[in-house]
Amino acid sequence: MNEDNANNEANLTMTDMSEPRIGVYVCHCGGNISDVVDVKRVAETIAKLPNVVVSRDYIFMCSDPGQNLIIEDIKKEKLNRVIVAACSPSLHDLTFRGALMRAGLNPYLYENVNIREQVSWVSKSDKEGATRKAIKLIAAALGKSRLQKPLEAPKVKVSKHIVVVGGGVSGLRSARELARYGFEVSILEQMPFVGGRMAQIGTVYPTGEKAKDLLDSLIDEVTADKNIKIYTGTEITDVSGYVGNFKLKVKIAPRGVTKEFDAETEKAIIDACPETTDNEFEYNIVKRKAIYRTYGRAFPNKLAIDWKTCTKCGKCVEAAGGEGIVLNDRDEELEISAGAIILATGFDHYTPARGEYGYEEFPEVITLPQLIRMLDDEGPTGGEIRLSNERKVKNVCLIHCVGSRQIEGVNKPGPNGRINEYCSRVCCTATLQMALELRKKYPEINIFELYQDIRTYGRGHEDYYMDASNEGVTFFRYDGHTPPVVEKAAGGDSPLVVRVKDSLTFGEELSIPADLVVLSTGMVPHDIGNLVEILKLPRSSDGFLQEVHPKLRPVELATTGIMIAGTSQAPMDITESSAAAAAAAVKSSALLSAGEISLDPFVAQVDLEKCEGTGKCVEECPYEGAVELVEMEINGQKVKRAKVNAALCAGCGICVAVCPTRAIQVAGWRLDQYDAMIDAFTSDEPLDG
Amino acid sequence: MAESSVRKVDALVIGGGIAGLQAAIDLGDQGFHVLIVEKEPSIGGRMISLSKVFPTLDCASCICTPKMAAAAHHDNIDIMTYAEVRKVEKKNGTFTAKVEQKPRYVIEDDCIGCRLCEYACPVYLEHEFEGRLGARKAVYIPFSNAIPQVAVLDPDHCIMCGLCAKACPTNAIDYTQQPEEIVVEASSVIVTTGFQFKSLDSKTQYGSGKLANVLDALQVERLLAPHGPYGRVLRPSDGKVPESVAYVLCAGSRDLSQDIPYCSRVCCMYSIKQAMLLSGALPLVEVTIYYMDIRAFGKGYEQFYQNAKAMGIEFVKAKVAKITEDEEQNPIVRIEMIEEDGRVEERKHDVVVLTPAIIPNWDPRSVIDIDRGEDEFVNTPQAKLFPSRTIMDGVFVAGTASGPKDIPDSIVEAGAAAMEAAIYIRNHSEGKETAKTGDIEISE
Repeated sequence: MNEDNANNEANLTMTDMSEPRIGVYVCHCGGNISDVVDVKRVAETIAKLPNVVVSRDYIFMCSDPGQNLIIEDIKKEKLNRVIVAACSPSLHDLTFRGALMRAGLNPYLYENVNIREQVSWVSKSDKEGATRKAIKLIAAALGKSRLQKPLEAPKVKVSKHIVVVGGGVSGLRSARELARYGFEVSILEQMPFVGGRMAQIGTVYPTGEKAKDLLDSLIDEVTADKNIKIYTGTEITDVSGYVGNFKLKVKIAPRGVTKEFDAETEKAIIDACPETTDNEFEYNIVKRKAIYRTYGRAFPNKLAIDWKTCTKCGKCVEAAGGEGIVLNDRDEELEISAGAIILATGFDHYTPARGEYGYEEFPEVITLPQLIRMLDDEGPTGGEIRLSNERKVKNVCLIHCVGSRQIEGVNKPGPNGRINEYCSRVCCTATLQMALELRKKYPEINIFELYQDIRTYGRGHEDYYMDASNEGVTFFRYDGHTPPVVEKAAGGDSPLVVRVKDSLTFGEELSIPADLVVLSTGMVPHDIGNLVEILKLPRSSDGFLQEVHPKLRPVELATTGIMIAGTSQAPMDITESSAAAAAAAVKSSALLSAGEISLDPFVAQVDLEKCEGTGKCVEECPYEGAVELVEMEINGQKVKRAKVNAALCAGCGICVAVCPTRAIQVAGWRLDQYDAMIDAFTSDEPLDG
Repeated sequence: MAESSVRKVDALVIGGGIAGLQAAIDLGDQGFHVLIVEKEPSIGGRMISLSKVFPTLDCASCICTPKMAAAAHHDNIDIMTYAEVRKVEKKNGTFTAKVEQKPRYVIEDDCIGCRLCEYACPVYLEHEFEGRLGARKAVYIPFSNAIPQVAVLDPDHCIMCGLCAKACPTNAIDYTQQPEEIVVEASSVIVTTGFQFKSLDSKTQYGSGKLANVLDALQVERLLAPHGPYGRVLRPSDGKVPESVAYVLCAGSRDLSQDIPYCSRVCCMYSIKQAMLLSGALPLVEVTIYYMDIRAFGKGYEQFYQNAKAMGIEFVKAKVAKITEDEEQNPIVRIEMIEEDGRVEERKHDVVVLTPAIIPNWDPRSVIDIDRGEDEFVNTPQAKLFPSRTIMDGVFVAGTASGPKDIPDSIVEAGAAAMEAAIYIRNHSEGKETAKTGDIEISE
């Protein structure tokens, strides 16, 4: 790219700009456009307009032969401006600008006309109207193109420090890759311990490895890397700047514990603490103290104090022998610069509403994550099922799709007002895996799974389904419109009964006695609080972060320099999260490797002869610091004039609209160009070929 | 075989489908020099032959051709098409690959892609790219948006009439071309060799691939693609516009009789997508999907499935037992109505579409010392944390070479493989001269 740019600058002076020689290319998009728009007629009509040297139609302009058409015409016909009428500019502006550069033309002499999303896709039933609209739009673009000037993309130096938000498996993996490649990385973890959700799992499918062993190996690599700094207890309070030069303000809560105690002292300290509270890590199967660690080998290997619960009674300090615990540290404020930011903010489990499938109503109803904690040998119950009423378990009923694949009118919206229509992807295999672990630990029990579709899609996943069937797990299939009902049993040995309309037995209504009901709860995005506002993060209708395009740019957000990794984007398993994390790393690396990056040249420019320093533009500008009033000397007089910071300006044009003297304009989208476009729209130029 | 000099690169990418292209671009963008070796005459892989892609319904070409062009024009990426990696050996941390450039019988540098040879050739053959529903010549440009736009001559069917050589304006036809061996030295290897459909010849219950109006899903992709073989959706036997189309899911996957116990992961979604596209192309068509479980697990997929249901596409839970045809070659499927009363029904359709199992397109065993899983896809021994790694240090895998996968997952994996390869190249190139690696110097 950079080399191309250099060539291009040299050639720029050689391009004769005096007389516009415009090439117009009308794309069929393989029928997407040409099935509706008469592309031949469009090209022929446009060919007759002033300054149009060539006007062609072609099946796929974005393909290599399509791009070569443009390049050859530029060289042969000495074109100095190019218009491609095709799909949305968000898809292929870069593609066609690249073609212009290869032909030695300034890439910003390219104009896009969107005749797919804005014409053919929305005007299917009116082919004549669509064709005329396409002609008008291109004629308008011609008006704009004639006045187009070569633009120069501003270049900025970038920081080679990258911030990874979230210290779960995705965050750790992204950080590891970037650090090994040579970047400096800071991991900002909200909780006092890293490891995220993966630490809460016992064994992983389909390899059967212990999650904590894998996690330890990853944490070991990360902590051994001198390029990585890990901050726990963090909260991002502000982000300013732009790609290559983000500035983050981070608040770091004190850990309260500065020393690694031996196991015996640690136990004494925890025992000494009189305050108990909910234990999020164990999904409240057990309680924890105000001074705690999440699990035995949690990292960092130090206790932490939960300040919301701690009363600063000082008993822990006593138990510690007066050393290593500090109760009155203040929050620390940190400023970090970053070239790129990777959001690996993870997921939370869906929490059923009280009474949803008997949740919180009956002690025998638990969630899948709770079951996973119970069956984890390193978990709070030592790998055993333990219900709050100490009941023994004979019949276990696992209900799939709790909080996933929800249906409007059937399921109630959650606290966020949202219906989770999506599939959470991992629960099917995770549930089957747990069914098999139950079978192994409790050979005598009956296991029932109530499902809609078994989605064991991944490599090795289907084996769990087959094994479960072979191990005597009984499957019932329900329809999302008539979900199962969990009720108190009228009599019999089991306290609960689960009623289900089973479509595998021709819609028979079955009643299953249950001593334990496990709700296979799905994933919801982790609540990242103000970060959504601070970074203006786009979210899809499911609430997860929204990538630019699932295939073209799957790990990038619309704001250049911000990547997403793992379950912040959508439900994923560990394998998929690891891949996504490394992909986010490679995009960050590619972005920052060269040490500088080019920004869009479509930014505001001030005409100092017209500017009167009213400051209207500064008042209305939504981007902090993008335009400022600065003092300067003009004709011996000290005056205030508007000045644009090209790196911060988003080219939105609000300043243009409010400037009383028409002194500020957006490069590439100047007012005279708008005038020309409007003239074209309102002119009576012939539309027929 | 003619031998030539040694080419040195940072990474050798085996396979120029969407995963290979993405991996190459991600490495190239970091300043590494990459060679893609593609065995077909064009890059683009399976994706370039697809119609539209789920769940966004973007046309496949709109996503794939720009990536093809981006790789082809990348300063740091070289591409060999119609070439096969025959052997890769690792010595002192460097990989030495023997690559066979197969003879195109067309001089690549001289061909200008004008197609005059193709027009002149009198031999008509089934076109593999069109799912054998369309025709090609014995000398031809692989397809309209192929890269490179260079003709290839099929020696098995050429009748040596000489018409193409006469028609060629640049004398690019060379009947005497021989395979050429190129030796490539690479610091790392990325395997992106993709997938193929398992043949249904052994599936006698489904007609062993002999029923005229029973198609496989890739053939239907071509029927639905812009400028496909018929230019519209017709059934092959008699050119009738189908009024009733049925999809048979798990036609070979999750099927122990076919030795394929696993799920092929994409069939549910592409069938739903094709059903939607068919409904768009033929407003009167009725589409039925026979399924075991609908696996709409990805981002936006479940919503896509629900939209299809709302559009009136019929979903019937049934494992199709048998497909036969009547005297008008209408396929008839035999099913048990599991969700009604369990009765056995025979249903007639105009076209039946099968979704065969996805199996690997390449067997690494005689080429490189990486192993395969029980499913015959490339083994990834650290599947959870490092899914791009193989058993061989420095050899990475992405996309469907390591199991069935959709396009977004393949593209993400390609990025992951590129990242791992980049680190590997860096760590193994200290002191050695490499191509243009980006300058990394940490300064604050």
